[in-house]
Amino acid sequence: MLKESILYESVGELAKRIETRQLSPVELTEAYLERSQKLGPQLNAYARLLPVEALDQARAAEKDIHRGHYRGPLHGIPYAAKDLLAVKGVQTTWGAKPFAEQVFDYDATVIEHLKNVGAVLLGKAAMIELAGGLGGGLGYMYASASLQGETKNPWDTSCWTCGSSSGSGAIVAAGLAGFAIGTETWGSIVCPSAFCGVSGFRPTYGRVSRHGAMALSYSLDKIGPLARSAEDCARIFAAIAGHDPLDRSTLAMDKAAFTDSPAGDLRRRGLRVGWLTNAWKDYEPGVGKAIQAAHKILPRHFASVRDVALPEGPWEEAAGVVLQAEVASSFGELIRSGRVKELHDPLDRIGGYVNLTVTGGDYTTAQRVREILQKKIDTLFEAYDVLATAAEPAVATPLTTNLITGLAFPDPVGAIGNLCGLPALSVPCGFTEKDLPVGLQFIGRAGDDAAVLEAGQIFQRATQWHRKHPRLS
Amino acid sequence: MNKSKGQKIDRREFARKAALLSAAMVPARMTFEGAVAGATNEQLPEGAEKLSAEGRAEAEARFQQIMSQYGSRFDSEEQKRVRDGCYNLQGSLDRLRAFHLENGDAPAVYLKPLVEREKKPLSAPAVGAAPAAAKKP
Repeated sequence: MLKESILYESVGELAKRIETRQLSPVELTEAYLERSQKLGPQLNAYARLLPVEALDQARAAEKDIHRGHYRGPLHGIPYAAKDLLAVKGVQTTWGAKPFAEQVFDYDATVIEHLKNVGAVLLGKAAMIELAGGLGGGLGYMYASASLQGETKNPWDTSCWTCGSSSGSGAIVAAGLAGFAIGTETWGSIVCPSAFCGVSGFRPTYGRVSRHGAMALSYSLDKIGPLARSAEDCARIFAAIAGHDPLDRSTLAMDKAAFTDSPAGDLRRRGLRVGWLTNAWKDYEPGVGKAIQAAHKILPRHFASVRDVALPEGPWEEAAGVVLQAEVASSFGELIRSGRVKELHDPLDRIGGYVNLTVTGGDYTTAQRVREILQKKIDTLFEAYDVLATAAEPAVATPLTTNLITGLAFPDPVGAIGNLCGLPALSVPCGFTEKDLPVGLQFIGRAGDDAAVLEAGQIFQRATQWHRKHPRLS
Repeated sequence: MNKSKGQKIDRREFARKAALLSAAMVPARMTFEGAVAGATNEQLPEGAEKLSAEGRAEAEARFQQIMSQYGSRFDSEEQKRVRDGCYNLQGSLDRLRAFHLENGDAPAVYLKPLVEREKKPLSAPAVGAAPAAAKKP
């Protein structure tokens, strides 16, 4: 029986053990499965565990490694994939009742990539129904907006994980797998990472293929890892990034692939940090303190840290209109047919009708504003390599919170980051008095994912927050 | 025969059609404006007071459009939420439309961030240079 501490090791640490045959992928998979079977249902973390398939993959990995065919740091590492990624022959529910029986006959490209490097798919992670896009601009009302029910935060099971990659956040935080794959349209990787105290990375739009992933918003959706460290995120990103002829939104080969060596020494190019002064209106008590402490650390480890303000403009409005119009397109049939009524959340059942009324003219205006914003932000990055601020101004909310009234705040950082397709990383940077994690966010120029991951690694070499784990039994 | 001549209508016909059209439009305008004017502040969704009269009328028209097509699907609580959503969207649209755009400001239609489109522009062929296909061995 493996010690719990091993299950909380980073991918890098587990990989060293596996490569040197001190740890068997089968033994590791069995241990994660056992823990997932015990704690997964308590947290509502999984949509489905795949024990038979996982053990088959683990045995194959072990066999390969024993033959000397070690494929790299993800070989034999168990992971979970958000339940909007197609896995051949397995139910892919998109977290929503109307799709509860949906089965695809192919793997999503991300699943395919991870299979190729020998990672072991342990199960499908729970998620917010249809990634939370059916609320008609208001969002969803409750944490329970999911076919799997509300996902509980491993740090405090009376609190929520945030969404929509809710299961992915809980699984990594609770040590139920080595890492997880999530997706973000607007906040769905950054927020669960912050609330669950894990490292979560949203790549530049177009670097990771979305073939086989549920489409919510064609110009905003991105796929990325949630893991135990920024270094792990870089390792996983290297495996899943790349041009894909099956997803025409992916960038060209030379721009999509990530070839930096995450395990190697940091390039120490002297990253210039822009500390955002107008990202959030207010911080919740406890968050501000942790963020200020993180801010104080930065000058010791980065070339420069200077205050910078985000440009003013209707960025959230533009992001909202783009999202609503694209959701009206991606789920138009579900809305018009009336089957949205089967969704769980009261707002998800009606919001799609509002989305349908966004006109082509207003969508185009939003896209024109987006173009201006992209140029403004790109200019901003001439003076900074990364921008930094709190991942969220709040911490995990109680499970019963009405999210419209209890977790509502302006989010220009999320709007700008997603409208411009910018990479972002949330890393743990402290805890509130109630022992709930706080996240620090680094945001980079489109295409400069390396700077964001490097900033996270520098921060995590200087701090130990990412090594803290919740007590679970 | 001249096509445009064939579509021409006389003044009497024009007046008749104009009268019919305006008669048809008056109740529609009255419906929206009347609905907004008749609603007390308590009845209006939160944030409605921040909208202009035109904005409220548009939000209400949006709500009526949904109700006319799908109204039978909603109970009273859901109707209220749909209306809230319409007013919320209207606020966003008003702020978005108020943003100054030049006629030549094009939309970000490529669904890609700036990185690919503008960081590596295609190099234009030099003037007078022979196209590759014209080269001879």
